[in-house]
Amino acid sequence: MEPASRLDHNHKLSLREFPYIIRWRDDRCKRCGRCTAVCPVKAIVPSVKVMRSVHSEGPIPTPGSTRRTVQVVEQVTNMERYCTGCGTCALVCPNEAIEPEFNPANKLLHYKNKGGDGYKRGGRRNDPSISTLDRLKFTRISMLTDPALDAGRHEFRIRTLLGRVLAPEAMPLSVVNGKLGIDARNNIFVPPVREIYPIMIGSMSIGALSPPMWEGLAMGVAYLNEVEGMPVVMCSGEGGMPPRLLRSKYLKYFIIQIASGYFGWDEIIHALPHMIEDPAAIEIKYGQGAKPGDGGLLMAQKVLKLIAKIRGVPQMVDLASPPTHQTKYSIEEAVAKMIQSMSMAWGFRVPVYPKISGSKTARAVLNNLARNPYAAALSIDGEDGGTGAAYNVSMDKMGHPIASNLRECYLDLVKQGKQNELPLIAAGGVGKKGNLAANAAALIMLGASAVSIGKYIMQTASDCFGDENNRCNLCNTGQCPRGITTQDPKLYRRLDPDKVAERVVEVFKSADTELKKIFAPMGRSTELPIGMSDGLSIDDKAMAERLGISYAC
Amino acid sequence: MRAKNEIKTAKSKEQRAKKTAGKINKPLSAAPGSSVTVLKGSVRGQRVPSRILEEQIQDAVQNGARELHIIANGQHGIGGRIWPREGTVRITIEGPAGQRVGSMGMPGTEVIVKNSASDDAGWINCGAKITVLGDVTNGAFNAAAQGLLYVQGSGGARCDTMTKQNPRFEPPQSWYFRNVGDSFAEFKAGGIAVVCGVNPRNPENILGYRPCVGMVGGAIYFRGPIQGYSDKDVKLLDLTEQDWDWLKTNMRPYLEAIDRISYYEELTRASSDWKKLMAYTPQEKRSRKWFKMSTTDFRKNHWEKETGQGGIFAEYLDHDQTILPYITTGKERRNKPLWANEKFAPPCAYACPSQIPSHKRASLIRQGLLQESLELVLKYSPLPATVCGQICPNPCMMSCTRGQLDKPLQIDKLGSLALELPAPKKEKATGHTIAVIGGGPGGLSTAWQLALKGHAVDLYEATGKLGGKIEHCIPRERLPHQILEKELSRFAELGVKVHLNAAIDKTKFSEIYKDHEIVVIAIGAQKPRIIPFPGSEDATSAYDFLKATNAGTVHDLKGKKVVVIGSGNVGMDVASEAYNFGAASVIAVDIQKPAAFGKEVDTATAKGTQILWPRITERYSKEEKKIYFKDGSSLEADLVIISIGDVPVLDLLPPSVHTERGWIAVNDIFQTSDVKVFAIGDVTGLGLVTHAIGQGRLTAETVHYQLMHAPRNPEVKQMIPYERIKKEYYDVCTGDFSPEREANKCMSCASCRDCHMCEATCYWGAISRIEREGGGYEYVVDDTKCIGCGFCAGICPCGVWEMVENI
Repeated sequence: MEPASRLDHNHKLSLREFPYIIRWRDDRCKRCGRCTAVCPVKAIVPSVKVMRSVHSEGPIPTPGSTRRTVQVVEQVTNMERYCTGCGTCALVCPNEAIEPEFNPANKLLHYKNKGGDGYKRGGRRNDPSISTLDRLKFTRISMLTDPALDAGRHEFRIRTLLGRVLAPEAMPLSVVNGKLGIDARNNIFVPPVREIYPIMIGSMSIGALSPPMWEGLAMGVAYLNEVEGMPVVMCSGEGGMPPRLLRSKYLKYFIIQIASGYFGWDEIIHALPHMIEDPAAIEIKYGQGAKPGDGGLLMAQKVLKLIAKIRGVPQMVDLASPPTHQTKYSIEEAVAKMIQSMSMAWGFRVPVYPKISGSKTARAVLNNLARNPYAAALSIDGEDGGTGAAYNVSMDKMGHPIASNLRECYLDLVKQGKQNELPLIAAGGVGKKGNLAANAAALIMLGASAVSIGKYIMQTASDCFGDENNRCNLCNTGQCPRGITTQDPKLYRRLDPDKVAERVVEVFKSADTELKKIFAPMGRSTELPIGMSDGLSIDDKAMAERLGISYAC
Repeated sequence: MRAKNEIKTAKSKEQRAKKTAGKINKPLSAAPGSSVTVLKGSVRGQRVPSRILEEQIQDAVQNGARELHIIANGQHGIGGRIWPREGTVRITIEGPAGQRVGSMGMPGTEVIVKNSASDDAGWINCGAKITVLGDVTNGAFNAAAQGLLYVQGSGGARCDTMTKQNPRFEPPQSWYFRNVGDSFAEFKAGGIAVVCGVNPRNPENILGYRPCVGMVGGAIYFRGPIQGYSDKDVKLLDLTEQDWDWLKTNMRPYLEAIDRISYYEELTRASSDWKKLMAYTPQEKRSRKWFKMSTTDFRKNHWEKETGQGGIFAEYLDHDQTILPYITTGKERRNKPLWANEKFAPPCAYACPSQIPSHKRASLIRQGLLQESLELVLKYSPLPATVCGQICPNPCMMSCTRGQLDKPLQIDKLGSLALELPAPKKEKATGHTIAVIGGGPGGLSTAWQLALKGHAVDLYEATGKLGGKIEHCIPRERLPHQILEKELSRFAELGVKVHLNAAIDKTKFSEIYKDHEIVVIAIGAQKPRIIPFPGSEDATSAYDFLKATNAGTVHDLKGKKVVVIGSGNVGMDVASEAYNFGAASVIAVDIQKPAAFGKEVDTATAKGTQILWPRITERYSKEEKKIYFKDGSSLEADLVIISIGDVPVLDLLPPSVHTERGWIAVNDIFQTSDVKVFAIGDVTGLGLVTHAIGQGRLTAETVHYQLMHAPRNPEVKQMIPYERIKKEYYDVCTGDFSPEREANKCMSCASCRDCHMCEATCYWGAISRIEREGGGYEYVVDDTKCIGCGFCAGICPCGVWEMVENI
């Protein structure tokens, strides 16, 4: 239809449709432009407005009017540049003159499909309500019944095992020269096992994260190991690892991930002859809790020299990690083939385990792994995990909550008597509300040998703005205002890797204290209470039943 | 059951004590004249319950006993909670003392345990002096607040935990002669512990495993080897002089009490034999860095030593590894401003087919250069008063940004003001010769431009007058003839060689082609298009009707009904003229939505013209004076005028000039398939007069560059988006036309109006205006000050400033 005459507000969205509304205070603003200089999406712009007042000052109607054109900061009503509520404007404003306000009645999802493509973003499932993990309570408090421990006084050894743990009778032990040792004569495979801290840092790739962010995390992990004696390990994510790190003694603190894109793997293989340490483990990524069925895509504009070199790809090309691996046609074949290859690369000295997204099919995968002597563990990543880029629908609607998924897998192992043999690693929303230690302990008591944290540590180590009200969540755009998920030096140089490392250390040390506070009243100081579900309760009967724990209200 | 107990005289008790306490080195001594009360923990082989013994002790003290002798049998808490009104109560315990001996002991109580004591000796001591002539087991002095504990042997695990000091009292003291067990002094909050380390049971470690966890106050003096302590709670120090004095002073009564005075010399031999553990103060704890090493030091001294200078990514980074603030300047800005003056075309110039930059005219007027402003238009058109001022529908005004606020600028009137201007000065003659065929607006424009540039132009016109359709077809009513004549006389000043009545055929064309370097065809379209419906031969064409009118023919249309087929602007002109000749009614029909717009349609409808559509003509019956349409309707029609456009007559063209469907085919610089031949105006497709004028100017420019062997890169500007113009600065205007008023109304789209708003708004003082060498000015940005906020771009009234990626 052709326009009748000059159009004005036709097909223009009102601010009420937008998820965040900028509250700008004319009376406080000094028009310094800091806010508009930093807005990552240019959702606010300087502009001019006319102010006109009509007055009558005489004893009879004596009309007069004044007119002023004033400069303002205004929010644009363009969905392509919608205010994501990151609040960088408020952060830099010296006068508290501006801040975004969440609009719960927004209709972002009605409109965020311009151009015929679904809404893509970073972050995690946009659901700010309390998760199952946060509803779990530790209700078995030893006071006069069992020896109670004091977290502040007693010594604790919070460790777990990563790798397949053979039953004592299956171990080829013999006494040689009066000493108990492994008997190599009958060639029985003794799987490699690492003693690690039960909270691991999950896979976040170089590329998804900026150089200072990734290096800060890595440095924090090295510090925890070397200075604090906490054997925290970190997974590389699928984006390769810098040769400088591969060739360093710190490699032993890192789990190298291989995923469907195989990015960086030729560089890793080239570094093999120069490695002075084995990595902590190899993780084979089959799925990601945040976006099951959705793959990864690193946009061409993020594939700069650094990323290209480390991933072993040309610059400025889109890098797709498809949601499925190629050339793998069944669980048996896929898992066996990959675990064999990866084990072989390091002479079967390194634990190799797959990571899948939380799913009803997790038990089938587990059942298969239980029969594979080379499988070192199974990592299950629940729906509340985070990601740097995915379709909103994959994040919000796809996936399985971790609690019951982990629990049913653990109970399956119990049925087979293998609960102490094959470790389960649980992830996805651990620390979502900040309760890192409590979430970790709850999952451990439901049956996890370790938990993996990604989004939580990333956020807390770098002051990330994102939340489950869809605040910021710009990770996919390369415009991260904190410099966390961008390859633009102007942005990522805002981030100090030393500070990131410091935060990692603080987080792990405080989580360690909190874990002690949880484990002490249960009388556990040296053995993790893996599967100690009698210590857990929940205030919902159906959940209690599903998880096989007690109901407390 | 209440067990009986005996209360005997001191004498008998003393005798008995001598019998039962064979191990005691020293005989019990009582003050002269006082009596000793002896209480037994077992009577006739029966153990006296703790409750009964406690009653007996309390009763005895109540009754004045001050010297008690207890032959204990493991009773709980002996010797505590006694508060004599005067004097001192002295309780000597023989036999196995039970747990918590002397617990909750009070000032004025002295307890002497002749053997080792069980757990928690001196528990919550509140002032009793407790001497144990043996060992104390676990938990001795737990939570003691005042009083003394003298131990002749060693302490068990968890001794001295939770001891404290009440400011009302002296601090509690505990003395251990040999050593203490594990977890000593946990959560100690006050009091002094002394561990002498004589003949320790564990010679490697006299304070046990991990002492002082949670200790917050008090002090521990010890003598001998230890293996660590809770270093986050306490610090290890040498004794000060005051410590040493205190220790020496208090050592004597202690050693005397435990009968070890012979060790005095050894224990006070040198202060350096001793060490002290003291709690960190809260202040010290707060100020202590709990990071064993800063992460920065870790990076420098470990991480980079292992992975390489600059860390794991340094080899791939091409920037400084320093941290940037959020607000940056210079090359660190994310965006930077650009003073993009004239980068875009303003809507008026963009919409004008003749590309007349009316915003510049307004700018010149604002600078007080009215004459220069008026003259500027002649560089774009030879006929501004005729075209802009009279016959043009003025697309410039239709697109004028100002129209979105109130009314567009009256650009037509600015055109009319140019009427009296003389021709601009010509450039020096170049010697190049060009032929222009056709004396209509296109031909006139081409010839005008080329002549101004100094070229020799031959202009061939088929009729006897210049002006083309302006002369022949446009109603005089819309264009007073003297305006055209005036402007044609200005044209004549340029000395273009005009050949009137020079119709060009193939032969003539080839001569012209031979004699000139370039030929420009601007012959327009003169052959009316006719729809071949039955009776169309009885209809007349708009072209013929209007041409005859302008030639002076008086059509007799009085009271007649006229139907015009085709409701474009020419149809409207026809309708208006028909009314001028007295037509009773004029109805214009069209097969589709009428294309007429602007003044033409306004004039025609004002005179009464009706427009009907869609109407597809079926036939015209001259006899019936009726025109029939395919939808079955009909109209009465004395006269039918067909006005559906004209087509060119292309007889003159050589085969080298390609045509398409009756029009000359040209490329985007109006060049035909013959590179020497250009074609513009209606001969290439129907358009407005202003189109022909614009094409003529562009062609002249192309030809000029070609002849002067200069490369030509015509600048194609985009139109500035309306939202970049800040209409907010302007108020709605009232009042009559004047050039100055119009100039001030102009929003100067995409063109700096030198208002200094940007300079004023920049908080950082980064923008300044500088005079250019050789005239003119520009606004420049100091990159060392600019933070890239975009205020200059956001508030620029003209939309000149723009923000670009700072790369």
